Amino acid sequence: MVHSPTCPHPCFLLVPASEPQFPHLQTPDAGDAVWNVRWELCTRRSSGPPAPGSGATIFALSSGQGRCGIAVIRTSGSASGHALRILTAPRDLPPARHASVRLLRDPRSGEPLDRALVLWFPGPQSFTGEDCVEFHVHGGPAVVSGVLQALGSVPGLRPAEAGEFTRRAFANGKLNLTEVEGLADLIHAETEAQRRQALRQLDGELGHLCRGWAETLTKALAHVEAYIDFGEDDNLEEGVLEQADIEVRALEVALGAHLRDARRGQRLRSGAHVVVTGPPNAGKSSLVNLLSRKPVSIVSPEPGTTRDVLETPVDLAGFPVLLSDTAGLREGVGPVEQEGVRRAQERLEQADLILAMLDASDLASPSSCNFLATVVASVGTQSPSDSSQRLLLVLNKSDLLSPEGPGPGPDLPPHLLLSCLTGEGLDGLLEALRKELAAVCGDPSTDPPLLTRARHQHHLQGCLNALGHYKQSKDLALAAEALRVARGHLTRLTGGGGTEEILDIIFRDFCVGK
Amino acid sequence: MFYFRGCGRWVAASFTKLQFPLARLSSDSTAPRTPHFDVIVIGGGHAGTEAATAAARCGSRTLLLTHRVDTIGQMSCNPSFGGIGKGHLMREVDALDGLCSRICDQSGVHYKVLNRRKGPAVWGLRAQIDRKLYKQNMQKEILNTPLLTVQEGAVEDLILTEPEPEHTGKCRVSGVVLVDGSTVYAESVILTTGTFLRGIIVIGLETHPAGRLGDQPSIGLAQTLEKLGFVVGRLKTGTPPRIAKESINFSILNKHTPDNPSIPFSFTNETVWIKPEDQLPCYLTHTNPRVDEIVLKNLHLNSHVKETTRGPRYCPSIESKVLRFPNRLHQVWLEPEGMDSDLIYPQGLSMTLPAELQEKMITCIRGLEKAKVIQPDGVLLLLPRMECNGAISAHHNLPLPGYGVQYDYLDPRQITPSLETHLVQRLFFAGQINGTTGYEEAAAQGVIAGINASLRVSRKPPFVVSRTEGYIGVLIDDLTTLGTSEPYRMFTSRVEFRLSLRPDNADSRLTLRGYKDAGCVSQQRYERACWMKSSLEEGISVLKSIEFSSSKWKKLIPEASISTSRSLPVRALDVLKYEEVDMDSLAKAVPEPLKKYTKCRELAERLKIEATYESVLFHQLQEIKGVQQDEALQLPKDLDYLTIRDVSLSHEVREKLHFSRPQTIGAASRIPGVTPAAIINLLRFVKTTQRRQAAMNESSKTDQYLCDADRLREREL
Repeated sequence: MVHSPTCPHPCFLLVPASEPQFPHLQTPDAGDAVWNVRWELCTRRSSGPPAPGSGATIFALSSGQGRCGIAVIRTSGSASGHALRILTAPRDLPPARHASVRLLRDPRSGEPLDRALVLWFPGPQSFTGEDCVEFHVHGGPAVVSGVLQALGSVPGLRPAEAGEFTRRAFANGKLNLTEVEGLADLIHAETEAQRRQALRQLDGELGHLCRGWAETLTKALAHVEAYIDFGEDDNLEEGVLEQADIEVRALEVALGAHLRDARRGQRLRSGAHVVVTGPPNAGKSSLVNLLSRKPVSIVSPEPGTTRDVLETPVDLAGFPVLLSDTAGLREGVGPVEQEGVRRAQERLEQADLILAMLDASDLASPSSCNFLATVVASVGTQSPSDSSQRLLLVLNKSDLLSPEGPGPGPDLPPHLLLSCLTGEGLDGLLEALRKELAAVCGDPSTDPPLLTRARHQHHLQGCLNALGHYKQSKDLALAAEALRVARGHLTRLTGGGGTEEILDIIFRDFCVGK
Repeated sequence: MFYFRGCGRWVAASFTKLQFPLARLSSDSTAPRTPHFDVIVIGGGHAGTEAATAAARCGSRTLLLTHRVDTIGQMSCNPSFGGIGKGHLMREVDALDGLCSRICDQSGVHYKVLNRRKGPAVWGLRAQIDRKLYKQNMQKEILNTPLLTVQEGAVEDLILTEPEPEHTGKCRVSGVVLVDGSTVYAESVILTTGTFLRGIIVIGLETHPAGRLGDQPSIGLAQTLEKLGFVVGRLKTGTPPRIAKESINFSILNKHTPDNPSIPFSFTNETVWIKPEDQLPCYLTHTNPRVDEIVLKNLHLNSHVKETTRGPRYCPSIESKVLRFPNRLHQVWLEPEGMDSDLIYPQGLSMTLPAELQEKMITCIRGLEKAKVIQPDGVLLLLPRMECNGAISAHHNLPLPGYGVQYDYLDPRQITPSLETHLVQRLFFAGQINGTTGYEEAAAQGVIAGINASLRVSRKPPFVVSRTEGYIGVLIDDLTTLGTSEPYRMFTSRVEFRLSLRPDNADSRLTLRGYKDAGCVSQQRYERACWMKSSLEEGISVLKSIEFSSSKWKKLIPEASISTSRSLPVRALDVLKYEEVDMDSLAKAVPEPLKKYTKCRELAERLKIEATYESVLFHQLQEIKGVQQDEALQLPKDLDYLTIRDVSLSHEVREKLHFSRPQTIGAASRIPGVTPAAIINLLRFVKTTQRRQAAMNESSKTDQYLCDADRLREREL
């Protein structure tokens, strides 16, 4: 090591040149934003061994969704302190493990976000064993969303994946084995909740856009990879790279426009998703109207009246709920209703809570039996740990049953009796709903739409930045790396993203091989 | 089970002169004295030679069993080594002190680095190799390797004994039975037998078993493997016909000259054995619509192309190129086979048409109008012998028409990342038997198998290269966790940390570990790698410490396109990132202290490469750390995924884990279908096991002591 006494940045000397096993450089690039990170790294190194799990720094909303006075946002990882300082500039880090009030600002615009309580937990004495920060902010959606997006803009930070906090805690020996017992279930629930959330988000226009972008990008990357791996020995057609360049440029324009255009932001469909389903004419629409206290859906004695999914935001037992009325599930009907049935099934997959409805007086009919065998049984047989999807079986039209007792067979799963006509059984249903919703909404793992939106924005911005690097790179390996990073961001949103996909495209599009 | 040439003469002959100078002979007085080695390697192809020498370098008394000593080091398919991705593998083999790179530096006839304009991370070191020279040099090296005995012999079966209780596996291999019934004992056995399992050769509609003709098919080794329960798959490959050099009209073809200067494969060489001006050129020609026509008209005569055996997604033969990409011109590289060879290898014309049609098709091609395909020798076809690459080689290297090969391979998910089989303790597989294709892929596995077979004997922990450390790691991790359904070939696109795993830094990545953890690296090479590593680190920190304003840099190095708009000071390392700046121009601008870094050419070039990738490497390092963390979490080897009760795993996940037996949480998470929840459950196991192991620490210390005592006793014997 050469020590330069005149070095204006003595911190350089504190950076160990390399890891024993990995002789690669550890200094971030010289971009302005990263200077702080470099400083951060240096101070960290000088004050002791690097924190365990020094991967990316993650953040998430860790309080449940629903109405609450205070929302808690957590970060974990080596850039936590850096993030805290950036959001609370010009103030320094607060004393460790002491609550302090700080004004949070968006680091990009300098706009104040909220006056919040912040807590700084330097590792290893923290929940995950890494450096952690907690932001206790006022619970309104605008504030929470603002802070999440501000964190997403800090270099080195990204939204947490399902179960990532817990996993890090576990990996760092912060959870004992009994605490871990329930962990797998929790992770499973988080994964499921995130999957459903992603399905909802990707259902709309944005999802369509994302998938299209990911496809374009995957193809462009595959062509660049083909040019690298086979460009010399095999004859690829002319202009492979030029074509990829054109596609990347178009993608860059589209992404940029999307991110600038605030109106294109996904309509926030917040609240727990409750879907009412059942065979035709069970009284689903009547229940929706009853729960929302307004005539949302047309009701008629004719089966198949509802042909599309009707959504209505309601407040149920104090929880924000998005109630969906769907077409009755049956086969062999006209194309319009068939489409309605398809949509109903799609919606069912995305539901947090399913209200399965049957006509109590018609339980022996083929459509009822079929419904019980398929929908109810498939959700019901899974143990709670296998699926975090919940289901309430409601038998409607109890007023039609004879007073001696209900007709339902003994092998019917647990159910509630209701009459939408008389309102009998409504209180019991509401109480059951309250319990289920408390479980759905109170679970901090349920991915709130706010975080989903922050995640979208984070990854789209990350993708756009990487595309910028692609353009600047003269070295083709560096350019390809930029496309890999860009694709990684998009496939976080759309799924997929393996190497095999790339190889499939290469071998489909080019004649290569010796 | 090896293919000897139709008679037992060679085998018999070899055993009359059987001498095992290094073997420990069994001292059991009641039994006849049987030779006993540490490691036996079966097969003398590219995997076998590397495996045998690696085991010997690690200090194991090693026996290389091959059917014929004079075919060791035979390049049975293309006359070239390296290329994009493959060159990376060779650099890594060299970093572990393997042979092929050094031998190529002594045997090439045309050295060329591919992808020169695409960035040093994807440079592909490549060379046309003189077959004869390669074989000669390889044999010289093999026969002079200390602790290595080479013996001719055909292996008929494995000797299996009771398993060691502290390891998983049905049984344990303790030696081999040769075709004459004699036995050789060993602590570890490596199988590198290429395509020997039920190989058939296809030319047109004719098929020839590529095994022991006239013998009973599928006895011995193949049967034993099957009986043990190894899962077998089938693959196909092919090779082109050879063309007489003097029958080609080179004057009308596109000539390609080698690099000047030549870049050697090995870190230990500064130059190659031959000057650029003495090297041979390659020529390029193309197919045309008449070639397509002949292929399409004669598909009915071409059983190899029609058959359903899973071929690769890429186009291995001219027939598949024509079928999948019609109406295009396909490249044909005309490659020299050696300095004094009168043959040309038409790379890109691998085919299985009947022999007479092969010549008809070839003569349609520009420059090959009068080309003479070397006709098959009738006698030859009756006595084919399979080489490691599925190629037949004949007596006296007589040439052959193009042909296809179909063969069995063993599903590589049945081996661990150290290449030991799950089923049989101390049995290792390397090379084409695991479903790979290519000399370099075989060599890479050979080194790893050799090292691990040796480490197993000395009861040391296995030497596993991670995906984050090398292409070797990617290759083996892909094979052992995902398996393969086509001949697996290395591509740089398979490597997620491509910018970190470069040909230039293979020594920093692997030589130090190879020296410390495996003991397979010579002192000299180790010292050189250490010197290079510390010089690089020093150079980089010096380059970081030198800072000037951009306008000053612009004045110092006017040819660099430095933007003077930024007011921040610029580091020398950042200036070095510019395409038009190298260490020489930097040292001219700032002689003190930079001049000393230009004295070693390699050091100067590597500093430039480090600067080029500096910004991205930082981010990549973060990711690498994440992956390494998962890989540090070992899964217990004796976990019975199918029956284990206190973990909640779906049946599907259990089956997948049971078959692949991932060794770490990292590997498990890469198996498709293994969910995050399953990973958490496995994590819990890791932690409980660690706890259990901590409790058992005392007893293992005793084991260690016993083991040392055992070794002492051995030495006394």
